[in-house]
Amino acid sequence: MNTGGLILILGSILSATAAFIWLVWRTGKAPEDQAPGVAPDQIIDTAAKKDVEHIFNDEFREELRNRGRLHFEKIIGENAMFLQQDLRQTTTQLNDYMRSQLTRTLQDEFKKYEQSITDAKQIALDSIEKTITTIEQQRQFLEEQMQTQAQTQKTQIIASFEKEMAGIINHYILRAIGNQIDLSDQLDYILAELEANKNAIVEDIKRGT
Amino acid sequence: MNEDVFKLPTSIVGKSDINRILRELDGLDDFFMSAAARKSGESIKAPRTTYMLDQLARDNGYNLMQTDQRTAIKTKLIEISRTAPSLHISFAVEPTPRIIDVILSWMRGNIHPQLMLQIGLQPTIAAGCVLRSPNKIFDLSLRTYLENQENYMVELIQGAVGGKR
Repeated sequence: MNTGGLILILGSILSATAAFIWLVWRTGKAPEDQAPGVAPDQIIDTAAKKDVEHIFNDEFREELRNRGRLHFEKIIGENAMFLQQDLRQTTTQLNDYMRSQLTRTLQDEFKKYEQSITDAKQIALDSIEKTITTIEQQRQFLEEQMQTQAQTQKTQIIASFEKEMAGIINHYILRAIGNQIDLSDQLDYILAELEANKNAIVEDIKRGT
Repeated sequence: MNEDVFKLPTSIVGKSDINRILRELDGLDDFFMSAAARKSGESIKAPRTTYMLDQLARDNGYNLMQTDQRTAIKTKLIEISRTAPSLHISFAVEPTPRIIDVILSWMRGNIHPQLMLQIGLQPTIAAGCVLRSPNKIFDLSLRTYLENQENYMVELIQGAVGGKR
């Protein structure tokens, strides 16, 4: 309920009270004529008492009371109707106001929520993108490392194979021809080797002796 | 008798042969000593000398019947045994006397005239020989030759593997 509605209700109550007071004052007013030799005030009081008692007897008073009650009830009814209308109007306005406020608040909240979702989505996308980039870099690094290791291992295996193969062939030759070559056939080779190492042998013998 | 160079025949290969000849010469000395002390009319049987000793005496012009010459031979042999250089040679199989003769002749003609040789067996070398001097080993075997050629063989294998790739 707004201030205007409150003022309207208070105004209605005050106007009804004022009308009631005016009505009571009008019905209780003193008569004009006075008796001579008597103090005017006393005459007036006496006359007033007679008139009042004559005019405002119990029936009249009862009638006035009924009229006043009816009028008051009428005013109360009218004001109640006004009050009801004002209340309805106020309620309607209040509802509209609340609806508009709620709508605006909800829209703002929705906008904020949407913005938050958008921001979160963007952050998530950025994070995912960074993660993808990191994973890709890691994958490339691992791939290069694995390729290097594989190449190194391959080279080692091939080198080992070649060396072992040479050893196997040597062993095979030695075993195949071992003790099969006559020393007479080797004599020229042995003498040639001795001749080639002659100086070294002589030198070593000189040192030894 | 040649006093300058005491020739060693190739039948005398190492110090064990010299020791054997020395024992033989001692036997001869004993024989001649006992022969001098024999009674007249008793038959004696002279011990047979080995081919090594005969050849040694013949090459150097010594008479084994004379004590002083036998003593000279012993003196020479003892000196040779003490001072002559010695080499050790290994073969994959037992060498024949002819092989030893050829190799020893070459060594005494090219390295030292009184060189002593010790012969050993080393079947793992397959072919060639391994010569061991006082301070060095001269590996002249086929095994070492093949090992030295291993890089070349690896190159050949690499070429073969590379060709198949």
